[in-house]
Amino acid sequence: MRHLSRYSALAKGLFVAEGRKGRKVVVIDVRPTATSKQADEFLEITPGQDFEIATVLRAIIKGLPLPELPEDSTVGGVPLSKWRELVSLMKACHYGVVMFGIGVTESRGKDLNLEQIIKLVGEMNEFTRFYAIPMRGHGNVNGSNQVLTWQTGYPFAVNLSRGYPRYNPGEFSVMDLLIRREVDAALIIATDPGAHLPKVAVEHLKNIPTIVLEPHENLTTSWANVVIPVAPAGVGVSGTFYRMDNVALQVKKLADFPFPSDLEVVKSIKERIADVKDYQRASL
Amino acid sequence: MLKIINGQVYDPANGVSGELKDVYIEDGKIIAEPGFPQNNAVPDLIDAAGCVVMPGGVEIHSHLAGPKVNTARMMCPEDHYDHFHTKTSVSRSGTGLTIPSTFLTGQLYSRLGYTTVFEAAVPALLARHVHEELQDTPLLDAGFYTLMGNNYMMMKVLGEPDSKKRKERLRDLVAWLLRSSKGYAVKVVNPGGVESWKWSQGSVNLDTPVPPFGVTPRRMLLELVDVVEELHLPHSLHLHSNHLGEAGNVQTTLETMRTLEGHRLHLTHMQFHSYGATKSGGISSEAPRIAEYLNQHPEFTCDAGQIVFGPVTTMTADSPMQFHLHQLTGNKWANADVEMETGAGIVPLIYRPSNLVNAIQWSIGLELLLLVKNPWQIFLTTDHPNAGPFTAYPQIIRLLMDADYRRARLAELNPKAVRYTCLAELDREYTLDEIAIITRAGPAKALRLSNKGHLGVGADADVAIYPLQQDKEAMFSRPAYVLKDGQVIVRDGQVIKNVMGRTLFVQPEGAQKLPPDLADDFARFYSIALSNFAVQEEYVERQEVIPCI
Ligand SMILES: [Zn+2]
Repeated sequence: MRHLSRYSALAKGLFVAEGRKGRKVVVIDVRPTATSKQADEFLEITPGQDFEIATVLRAIIKGLPLPELPEDSTVGGVPLSKWRELVSLMKACHYGVVMFGIGVTESRGKDLNLEQIIKLVGEMNEFTRFYAIPMRGHGNVNGSNQVLTWQTGYPFAVNLSRGYPRYNPGEFSVMDLLIRREVDAALIIATDPGAHLPKVAVEHLKNIPTIVLEPHENLTTSWANVVIPVAPAGVGVSGTFYRMDNVALQVKKLADFPFPSDLEVVKSIKERIADVKDYQRASL
Repeated sequence: MLKIINGQVYDPANGVSGELKDVYIEDGKIIAEPGFPQNNAVPDLIDAAGCVVMPGGVEIHSHLAGPKVNTARMMCPEDHYDHFHTKTSVSRSGTGLTIPSTFLTGQLYSRLGYTTVFEAAVPALLARHVHEELQDTPLLDAGFYTLMGNNYMMMKVLGEPDSKKRKERLRDLVAWLLRSSKGYAVKVVNPGGVESWKWSQGSVNLDTPVPPFGVTPRRMLLELVDVVEELHLPHSLHLHSNHLGEAGNVQTTLETMRTLEGHRLHLTHMQFHSYGATKSGGISSEAPRIAEYLNQHPEFTCDAGQIVFGPVTTMTADSPMQFHLHQLTGNKWANADVEMETGAGIVPLIYRPSNLVNAIQWSIGLELLLLVKNPWQIFLTTDHPNAGPFTAYPQIIRLLMDADYRRARLAELNPKAVRYTCLAELDREYTLDEIAIITRAGPAKALRLSNKGHLGVGADADVAIYPLQQDKEAMFSRPAYVLKDGQVIVRDGQVIKNVMGRTLFVQPEGAQKLPPDLADDFARFYSIALSNFAVQEEYVERQEVIPCI
């Protein structure tokens, strides 16, 4: 909701001086939500049709004939004519943004849906400026993606066991490694797998040595073998936060905590490993 | 103390050309030969017999760190899979051919004898991210240029009718943007053209009024070069001109240079801006005209932007140009709109010798390097990773030093290329002195880095020692030693010690705050608070402020 007021709908822009009145907001969702109530237009679609919808939209944008679809048919539960109206609206705007949520990747088609949306946005640029912003879930997921990418070349699912980075989502992603029981010890930082991972993955974690760096009690700390309390980032320790549109911001320390930061803990663990393995300290 | 003995020293800034000369180093600096009797400390010796000794390389234009580079890494895992480097006891692992990860970027540059690099294009809003990456880029001193050529506040200030007030306000704004971002120089990319594209309008010429304030690119450039001089910034305005890559853009490039005659100016990746147009709309070489103009105008410097055949990842703030490249090639594309400041686009690409356009582009870069007579005016770059990866520098050095090799390569290109170029007629071969100029002494001078690019007393002890070889590509691919601040970091082409370099930036004089009307615009239209904008000291842990004098 803060997104609507601060950025996407109500904010008064340099070239949208009237704020909300100067914008058209269309919400596409499988059920009414707080966001859809604020929209100029709400297209309630049947679940699992994201790929079909995006494909038909792309065809309409390109002006391709749709011989299989009579004009009075529906796509994703919404009349074709409505989709045509939407495309006219998109082509007529000065500046459009598609904001999409995680639901798109969780319905049938998964990453293919995303590909369609991204292609659609790209193709819209032949007519006007159009952008896409993924609405990510947890705080600073992007920060982790950014740092892993500049350090290893890959955003997640990176395996360093051979001494160099390898990347393969589905093989090296956390969930898959745990479900295949390939992991024999876990160091968990800034997340709560007990709350977020499927039961079978959590079951495996419970059977192996698990170390957690965590400021609060959560669903993982209760059964972890070692819990190292750390100062909460952005409250007890300063750091960098990557907003979901890739703007890096410094979060400041607001209060003293009797605990070290994640960074200090990991650094001292690394130093001890380095002592054992005789690595140069400067390369840490 | 450390003493490099028996080497042939190439230090063109100090008029030293291949003389057998010892180099003395203490506390990270080059020192004078100690008088006799020597104090009792026995110096460490590096025997450089059979080698040339040069200052460490200075990279004047490369896209090596920051949001667009990282987006490209994320977007192109195929650039990384087959190009991985295992960790060693001194260096961390990494991946990447044209867009290497940060640790690897530092290692690859230092393994070529480079010790100082500049990232070429940074929006002030995203500067914090760039500093974070630079802090993870080891072995190098590094800085970056701050993008201003499509900045909303810059255009608003230039819309001010009163010329005196305008100048003052612009000076304060430029100083404030540089200080806030901890940048080194003013970068302008396709002035006005990026903003125009955001309005879905066409490309701009020097006199096209640019929305929303109607300021023309000519006005922007004239006022910005003035301000850069008034602020005594060490580097000149660093310009990526309008119409990059377009057939016939030589007109725009020449007109831009004429407009700015008499000012210090650096024109980047000149190869992309030296095209004539053929009847069928293709490109032809206008390198001779550009070189002729530069030969008459010693106030200008440029870098080559030499094409390297093979895969590249194009990335630039010039978002309209990237969109066209995407349409032209059908290759994948990323585009970003950086709020009130600029845009950016990314498109991976492969340059092929059999492709006529690519073959002409390759020839034009070399023509420029060979036809510009004064090596202090043109520097070796590949606009990494746009025209090629920086790791191809040794190959380009061989092309410049060995005319037979160059002709052999030319013969392998699309045979029609010679119709549109004059490279086949050029016999010039670079000397080692000239190579030392275009790769270190010249860029250091253009950046006014008084402690870099030379081996005089007081210089930073950044030194590259290459074993003399007939094959210059082999020679420059594998230095025997590289020293950073007097420490040996590379031996026989391998990193043997990891050190961290410094961040280089400027702190020009001028108002410390934005004027109230711009601060008000900032508060209303930026997505972050003004108080969160300036890059905090924590992001430049090891820093060196280069004076504005
Ligand atoms: Zn560039």
